[in-house]
Amino acid sequence: MSGLILDKLCKRFGGVIAADDVDMEVPAGRITGLIGPNGAGKTTIVNLVTGMLPVTSGRILFGDRDLTHAAAHEIARAGLARTFQNIRLLPEASIVENVMIGYHRHETSSVLSALLRLPSAARETRETEEKARALIDRFGMTAIADYPAGGLSYGHQRRVEVMRALASDPKLILLDEPVAGMNDVESDELATVIRGLAAEGRAILLIEHDMRFVSRLCEHIYVLDGGRLIAQGAPRDVLADPVVIEAYLGSAQDA
Amino acid sequence: MNNLYANWGPILDLYLLHLGFAFSQYIVLRAGVFSLATAGLAAVGAYAAGILAVKHAVDPSIGIVVAVVLGVATALVLSWPLARLRGVYQAIATVAFVQIVVSVNIYAEGLTGGAMGLNNIPKVIGTWHLLVAAVAVTYLIWALNRTRLGRTFEAIHENEAVAVSLGVPIARYQALAFALSGGIAGLFGALEAFHSYALDPNLFGFGFLIAVLSYVVFGGRKSVLGPLVGTAVLILLPELARPLAENRILVYGMLLILVINFMPRGIADTALDALRRRRLARMGGEAAQSAKAARS
Repeated sequence: MSGLILDKLCKRFGGVIAADDVDMEVPAGRITGLIGPNGAGKTTIVNLVTGMLPVTSGRILFGDRDLTHAAAHEIARAGLARTFQNIRLLPEASIVENVMIGYHRHETSSVLSALLRLPSAARETRETEEKARALIDRFGMTAIADYPAGGLSYGHQRRVEVMRALASDPKLILLDEPVAGMNDVESDELATVIRGLAAEGRAILLIEHDMRFVSRLCEHIYVLDGGRLIAQGAPRDVLADPVVIEAYLGSAQDA
Repeated sequence: MNNLYANWGPILDLYLLHLGFAFSQYIVLRAGVFSLATAGLAAVGAYAAGILAVKHAVDPSIGIVVAVVLGVATALVLSWPLARLRGVYQAIATVAFVQIVVSVNIYAEGLTGGAMGLNNIPKVIGTWHLLVAAVAVTYLIWALNRTRLGRTFEAIHENEAVAVSLGVPIARYQALAFALSGGIAGLFGALEAFHSYALDPNLFGFGFLIAVLSYVVFGGRKSVLGPLVGTAVLILLPELARPLAENRILVYGMLLILVINFMPRGIADTALDALRRRRLARMGGEAAQSAKAARS
């Protein structure tokens, strides 16, 4: 099975340790959660895994590849897709255009044929658009497919982002706080979508603040605090762990 | 007819030449690089072609090819340090490059004719040649916007983090945009040289840089129509406003200020957006109509 493995991952910014010996496993076909209070180092882990920050020490393994020092675009090409904490779409482009750029990794027409719009490149564009529209249909958004993405509701924008990530046919999808700012109906819909992705055999790494959402979706969660993993296991056990409660709420003495 | 050409021919030529430079500027902006190097790259092409023709009696067609190759090569060399810069720093660095090229052309007298300029360049380029070159470049830009290259440039332009997360090697695509910009600037620089008998080192200076940038900002940075419209308006306007004599620079400046304030995306892109909105509104209207019909 191809999944993601973090092996004693460390990141230091000068004297500040943002990630300290983090060991994690994100297996295929499962939804793995990563939670922690503000400033716990979740975003650092995201940036290390996606190649936006260089790793200080430790390893990142993905399937049979070592991606520890791979460039960000190579990591994406290896099959790791992501959504962003603050949704990042091309606001003026239509939903179709936004989803189409997700297919970049699979578009292979030569530079020359694309420059001159030779038949092969024109066909590729047509096929990419067909695939994008089929995906949009699966997500039930065909009626608004040609509208600019910037004018959509928050929940719809998030769906477009998930579709764009999905377009690259990734082995792993990293969701960075996907339900932040969503209402219950929107987050329920997204939960169904995420379960579907895991059922297709993709590895899902869910970074979340919303405990309820995480405990509903994940089979295994990791808790990060101060750059260290302080607990892991099934949601029910982890959320009852006094160490975790203390990290989130402070200890009884503090109160 | 002859009279018409006598009056408007020179302006058409000027338009076609500047259209090429506008597309050279457009393509780097399209790929998210705030480069203003087009003036310098055009100077490289123009002087290369001019010097080869005047001092070495090289055939103009070979001079043009050399100008294109040199334009591409210079742009690729430039793209390497620029990949480490972003936004306004790229603009500053490329303005410096333009100034360096102007200085070299002024001070390397033995090679470039210095401040006196390079004279006696054979005039072998006419309106038809310019028309063919302008149509070819317009097609190239139109075509690449409709393939994966256009989509990738758009993604980089809008959000680099998104582009990277989808597997786009940004430096490589921006180098490609630079190479295209350099090739187009080199080509039209050479055409300019073979069209106007002489080259003045200050021709490709700061004024040129601003003019070329204005065409794209004025017309629009997204659609292929942007540079076509922007260049047309800004080249024609001073001619049409000729009765205003000394006030025409004023009109030009005021128009630019108005467009930047009220149509920040440029005339053509704003118009295309309005058309798209109308089409969507009509589609939405029809969808609502049919839904109503289905209910009743």
